[in-house]
Amino acid sequence: MQVNLIDFWPRILEATYQTLLMVGISLLVATLIGLPLGIALVVTKQGGLLENNSIFNGLSAVVNFFRSIPFIILLVAILPLTRLIVGTSIGTAAASVPLIIFSAPYIARLVESSLLEVKTGVIEAAEAMGATPWQIIWRVYIPEALSSIVLNLTIATIGLVGASAMAGFVGGGGLGDLAISYGYQRFETDIMVVTVLLLVFIVQATQMVGNLLSKKAKRQ
Amino acid sequence: MIEFRDVSKVYDHNGNELRAVDHVTLKVDKGEIFGVIGFSGAGKSTLVRMVNQLEKPTEGNILVEGEDLTKLSKPEVRRVRKRIGMIFQHFNLLESKTVRHNVGFPLALVGTPKRVIQKRVTEILEFVGLEDKADQYPEELSGGQKQRVGIARALATSPDILLCDEATSALDPETTKSILQLLKRVRDEYNLTILMITHEMNVIKEVCDKVAVMEKGAVIEQGTIFELFSNPQHQTTQNFIRSVIESDIPASILRGIEKRGAGRHIYRVTFVNETAGEPILSQVSKRFDVDVNVLFGQITELQGIPFGHLVVEIQGEDKEIVKAIDHIQSAVTVQEVYSHAG
Ligand SMILES: Nc1ncnc2c1ncn2[C@@H]1O[C@H](COP(=O)(O)OP(=O)(O)OP(=O)(O)O)[C@@H](O)[C@H]1O
Ligand SMILES: [Mg+2]
Repeated sequence: MQVNLIDFWPRILEATYQTLLMVGISLLVATLIGLPLGIALVVTKQGGLLENNSIFNGLSAVVNFFRSIPFIILLVAILPLTRLIVGTSIGTAAASVPLIIFSAPYIARLVESSLLEVKTGVIEAAEAMGATPWQIIWRVYIPEALSSIVLNLTIATIGLVGASAMAGFVGGGGLGDLAISYGYQRFETDIMVVTVLLLVFIVQATQMVGNLLSKKAKRQ
Repeated sequence: MIEFRDVSKVYDHNGNELRAVDHVTLKVDKGEIFGVIGFSGAGKSTLVRMVNQLEKPTEGNILVEGEDLTKLSKPEVRRVRKRIGMIFQHFNLLESKTVRHNVGFPLALVGTPKRVIQKRVTEILEFVGLEDKADQYPEELSGGQKQRVGIARALATSPDILLCDEATSALDPETTKSILQLLKRVRDEYNLTILMITHEMNVIKEVCDKVAVMEKGAVIEQGTIFELFSNPQHQTTQNFIRSVIESDIPASILRGIEKRGAGRHIYRVTFVNETAGEPILSQVSKRFDVDVNVLFGQITELQGIPFGHLVVEIQGEDKEIVKAIDHIQSAVTVQEVYSHAG
């Protein structure tokens, strides 16, 4: 049975929307978790603003733990938790839960590395002016690292687009799901090609926007 | 103004203790430009960084205007820091912010109203000669301009003290000079106390009133710049001074003197903190029946006063020479280097 590509467009559009939604929600929530986590890692590090070995080691261990679980396993293992949070284990919202758990620790590490790029001399200059640790975080670390953070978030977003294909397959929805269930399992090559092209387009567009925003953030 | 009382800073280096600063006692008076010179690793940075408590001393006390910094709580330390500006070798400006924002930054930290910041920034940028660069970013500036921004930022909150950690070490000699002149103006116009550290003697020579020489964490010698230049006690001090003014007679000249030494009268005339300059020598040859030949010498300026020495040969009758020397001696120090009655 051949599916007519023209008739199939609404399905593709819906899947695109689902992918963007999944990536959008996960990115937002994961950043909300990852950004403070990354900041906490940097300031509690040895020699950091608020050096604290036990907090640093604890956070670092948690981040490493989640980073070491392969996504495909996380996806399945988390199903009960997803059901608990979202009420169901299928659908776009449900697919976002593993995506968030997958990318938040990743974003934390990316933010950490961005913040570590800020020259210690600049931090020291702010300290010498009598800035509080809080002021240094908001007025020095974040603005100075913003360009790099944006670039790193772009990388995380693209990673999310890829992971969302898998998450969609389990939870239902999105371009990845479409590509696999029609293109792969039913040999609808047209649909496979179109969805892949769309994914390529999303990734390209994301990178472009990311580069642009990052450049903007360099000069505030 | 700033007082170090038997201050030490000990770091732990893999179980071994490293005395970065070793029992230092120093006093910097108000309005003074005080230099600390030493080789790399001497402990200079550690020393200045204790003044704004970026480092905590292991032993001893540091007083700023009579207030013992070692006894302050964290918020109190932040309060004191606002009265102490600091500039750095690598400027440490916010790369993502314009010059205007960088200079206004310390004011914004204390919640100064935008309009007040704007006014102060314009004023201070004018003072450092960068009013036309206000809306540029640090990466668009030269090293010298970046340091001017650094100075403007340090001055924004009208501090009483300015700390300079190798502020000119990343700059070429010309730019170094202009920055040093600016620092002098800062002191003169704002009556700031400046504590600067450097490994370059010409920086000390150019602007400092007093100087301390550090070696292996300890201050081995200190005094006014004239005291140090005219009578350096320690080998390291002598080496530093030699880097800006050569006091030994070069070997080639010495050989010449020794070869044809008979009947020659050679003297070293030293100018230290004395008003006479070279004219004394021409006076002598006019007033007495002698010829004065300069064989070698170097005169430089310390705080606008000539300092240095000349190695001269005085030719003429012994009797006239004695009179000439007497006359020179009335104004400056003369020391016989080589004399051989003919
Ligand atoms: N945070 C630190 N931990 C351990 N050792 C340190 C630390 N800071 C400085 N030291 C050591 O203290 C000594 C003095 O260092 P300091 O930076 O004060 O020297 P310096 O005179 O400023 O040298 P330079 O001209 O190279 O800047 C050095 O041996 C250095 O290795
Ligand atoms: Mg140093």
